[in-house]
Amino acid sequence: MSLLFILFFPLVIGAILLVAKPKQAFAISLIASIIELVATILVLKDAATAENGLVFTKPWIEEAGISFSLWVDGVNGILIGLCALMVPFIVATTANSDKANNSQYQGLMLAMQTALMGAFLAKDAFLFYFFFEASLLPIYFLAAIYGGENKNAITFKFFVYTLFGSLFLLIGLIYVYLVTPGSHSSDIETLYQTATMLPERIQGNLFLAFFIAFAIKMPIFPFHTWQPDTYTVAPTQATMLLSGIMLKMGTYGLIRLVLPMFPLGIITWGNTAIILSVIGIIYGSVIAIQQKDAKRLLAYSSFAHVGLMSAGILSQSLEGIQGALYQMLSHGINIVGLFFIIEIIERRTKSREIAQLGGITQYSYVLTVAFVILSLGSVALPLTNGFIGEFLLLKSVFDHDMIIGIVAGISIILGAVYTLRLIQKTMFGNFSRITKDFEDLSAAEKWVLIPLCAFVILGGVYPTWILNFTEPGVQALVSLLK
Amino acid sequence: MNYQPQDFLPIFVQLAAALAFIVLVMVLTHALGPKRHSAKKDDSFECGIESIGDARTPISVKYFLVAILFVLFDLEIVFMYPWAVNFKQLAWNGFYEMIVFMGLLLAGFIYVIKKGILTWEK
Amino acid sequence: MTAIIALSLFGISNLFLGFWFPRKTIQLVTLLFLVVSMALTVSDWNHELLWFGNMFRTTNTSINFSLIIQLAAFFVVAFSKAFGQDDEHTHPAEYYAIMLFSVVGAILMVSFDHMIVLFVGLEILSVAMYVLTGSDKRNLRSNEAAIKYFLMGSFTTGFLLFGITLVYGATRSFYISNIGTILTTTAPESMPSFLFIGVLLIIVGLLFKVSAAPFHFWTPDVYEGAPTIFTMFMSTIVKTASFAALFQLVSGIFGSLYTVWVLPVYFISMLTLVVGNISAVYQQSVKRMLAFSSISHAGYLILTVSSKQISTTSSILYYSLSYTLATVVAFAVLILVSEYQSARVEKPENFSSFEGLAKNNPGLALCFSISMLSLAGIPLTAGFWGKFFIFSDTFSRNIIYPVILAILMSAVGIYYYFKGIIAVYLKAGEIEKIEVPTLFKMALWACTLGTIILGIYPSLVKSVF
Repeated sequence: MSLLFILFFPLVIGAILLVAKPKQAFAISLIASIIELVATILVLKDAATAENGLVFTKPWIEEAGISFSLWVDGVNGILIGLCALMVPFIVATTANSDKANNSQYQGLMLAMQTALMGAFLAKDAFLFYFFFEASLLPIYFLAAIYGGENKNAITFKFFVYTLFGSLFLLIGLIYVYLVTPGSHSSDIETLYQTATMLPERIQGNLFLAFFIAFAIKMPIFPFHTWQPDTYTVAPTQATMLLSGIMLKMGTYGLIRLVLPMFPLGIITWGNTAIILSVIGIIYGSVIAIQQKDAKRLLAYSSFAHVGLMSAGILSQSLEGIQGALYQMLSHGINIVGLFFIIEIIERRTKSREIAQLGGITQYSYVLTVAFVILSLGSVALPLTNGFIGEFLLLKSVFDHDMIIGIVAGISIILGAVYTLRLIQKTMFGNFSRITKDFEDLSAAEKWVLIPLCAFVILGGVYPTWILNFTEPGVQALVSLLK
Repeated sequence: MNYQPQDFLPIFVQLAAALAFIVLVMVLTHALGPKRHSAKKDDSFECGIESIGDARTPISVKYFLVAILFVLFDLEIVFMYPWAVNFKQLAWNGFYEMIVFMGLLLAGFIYVIKKGILTWEK
Repeated sequence: MTAIIALSLFGISNLFLGFWFPRKTIQLVTLLFLVVSMALTVSDWNHELLWFGNMFRTTNTSINFSLIIQLAAFFVVAFSKAFGQDDEHTHPAEYYAIMLFSVVGAILMVSFDHMIVLFVGLEILSVAMYVLTGSDKRNLRSNEAAIKYFLMGSFTTGFLLFGITLVYGATRSFYISNIGTILTTTAPESMPSFLFIGVLLIIVGLLFKVSAAPFHFWTPDVYEGAPTIFTMFMSTIVKTASFAALFQLVSGIFGSLYTVWVLPVYFISMLTLVVGNISAVYQQSVKRMLAFSSISHAGYLILTVSSKQISTTSSILYYSLSYTLATVVAFAVLILVSEYQSARVEKPENFSSFEGLAKNNPGLALCFSISMLSLAGIPLTAGFWGKFFIFSDTFSRNIIYPVILAILMSAVGIYYYFKGIIAVYLKAGEIEKIEVPTLFKMALWACTLGTIILGIYPSLVKSVF
């Protein structure tokens, strides 16, 4: 029942916001997301102590053997935690802006949370697919209604592109589902058993179908063309949802579905996929270095980070998956914080052009410190949360193939280049016409940034409790691969 | 009673003969007949009176309505012949069915009258 | 079975009610009639029986199809507003009566056990549709549409009849069950070759009615020319009935001739998907877009028909239901918007006249968007599961490439359905609050809710089908 609560509670509140349009949308939405966070923490605590994780199953489409089943184990627990943790912050970033009491905006964000939670919680493959696609609707409307310049064309491309990709996932899922014995079942664990029995050629094709779907979602080179535009044009909160949480649906799909289902497929195509991911890392970083728009720069940096996660996952090692899970969490925290900082700057200066900014540190000390901490997390400096994940990921890629590992390692240097350049150009130096008299952070803004910075440090100093939480689930998963 | 397609051959022969006759006669008349063209001769024949205007003038839709209704009711009377011939064999069952049939017809007739389709001047 | 007698009598009484009552009363009475006939249809549930000299069979499948047809008719009647300017010259009672008669034809088509009943049912349905298509008498487009529909329709009816004759010639029976036994017990090699031509001709005759490419050329013009309310009728009821008939024939009695018809049917379904979806992309008019969308949905359904699985019946039923619910809403909103815009813009049925609908009519905008989402097959709507069941059926027969094409095409579909949503929500435009009659509003919300409920919990009806 508690699983049902954390799944549907945001949707219920979101629906109320959308229909009733109350005046205090911000307060309702913030309180709801905090309740959701508390409930999720309680669920995760249960899951950590429970023997085989928590499972909830109800028949859904009995005739077809499709059930409404949810579970929490080490693998998805961390993502559920991330989703529940970040949404209150994302909601809080709207404080005092024109979107704060826009009940439609808040309602769509909460609806989005349910869709994301559903995709992470689902134990049934079709339920996963259902939420995987359903999450597109609220995010599409968020981006398309509140987006910036040229929003219609860009968000539309985003929608069609990602939906097109997930249709491949649908074909693949249906194929595996029809192989299951008897009157068919789409339970993920049943699919593991049947899919691994398939001959190599078919597994290879299915791997491609699944990989394309997830690669578009993440995105992986060369399926990324929707991403920078969408991230740039979407309102900041939608970008946070997209990069902070929704992107992880792709990596989660790789871990949860692709790895255990198609071991033979990975033998055929895994290396290609890893190389594509690594190309994405380098490509994203190089382009990020040249960006003039700060938000676009972050979009490309996100593209680069996710490439490393994907490569680590596909290396199929315990470290790789652990690292990817840890990195998903830290990337979610860091990128939300960074996007918020850009939003803060944009609110005051009406500009995101790196060249036009500078010297903000003279006016806002706290903002500078927060920016530096979050950026260092993103660059993966030791003692920040990014380090643990990137280290594990790089190690796994390195173990898999040394040359690829070395190439991927370059990404850390490139990451440092564009991130530090961003900080230097925006924060330090002389103030410009528009950054003159930059208003210091408001209390609400501090309340968002300071905890996020605390998470960055905390995650870097004391990673073991999260790694311990994920380990049993990942162990079980890795043992399936052997 | 197992017909093969070739059993239908005589019918095709007959069809072909009929067609051939028509074609033959048409060709023959054209070939043999004298051809004299004049304005009067090429005009359509209207009992010797000079034709005026186009034959395709619009006719009041009322003519059509009456004509169609006539055909409808006329054809439905045809159904009564086989019934009358087999009256005894069909017995009461046939009688009831005919009553239903006539009842529907009558309903239609009343509808037509009430709708004012048969009133010429409106 | 009693339903068709009742509906015929209701239709006749409708004609007479027109003499005394205004349109609104007749509309309500017609709705009542349909409810009664639905109840009568349900009363045959689980009684598999033959009627009328063994020519008419009621099975649970046929009852389900009849119910979907009558439900569609119910909504169409509920969505019907004034037909034209004044009731005196537009004969509303007659339109309702003709609708009821054509529902009788549709029910005959879904429960025939004799080829002639199929033919008679098809003709009852079609002749009624020819009349309704041309019912906007003073509109040139409507007249053109009616003539086009009539000429093409009667021509392909000839195909169907010829096919029936050839099949009769080969099997010496009109009875579906007899033909089925003969075909399964005889080796195909010992059958006369004209049987196969007959089978294909019957399939072609029915494919015309569902507007499958390359027999679809009439569809856009007829859909556009006909008054929108009758386009709604055409795209739901005629489709469902023809598909039920096609399915019963093709995978029922012609099932043993699978190898004969399967390739042409594949080819046609793929062609239909491509033609329907690609042409829909280029449409400026919502009505024409919906016409092409109905062609493309025919493509998906033909794909299932060819899969010949046990679950196919329920998939087709589910798809028909979800398609019906979504389509009637789309047309209903189109009626309201085009009526509002007809005095204001030159082309009231274009996408551009939907722009800015969400601002003052959030309810209408929501209904329209949900119906578009359902037609596009996005999760949370009935259309998603419809597509899902169809793909899953087709896949289990190892039909790979047509399914991949279908999936590509449904991605194309998203493009043009979203044009509607974008126009409604994201484009700026001036549309004031549109007055919606209460009955209309109730029907609109009922359909929309139905779409969502079926999208969340498909078992609700899937367990019955």
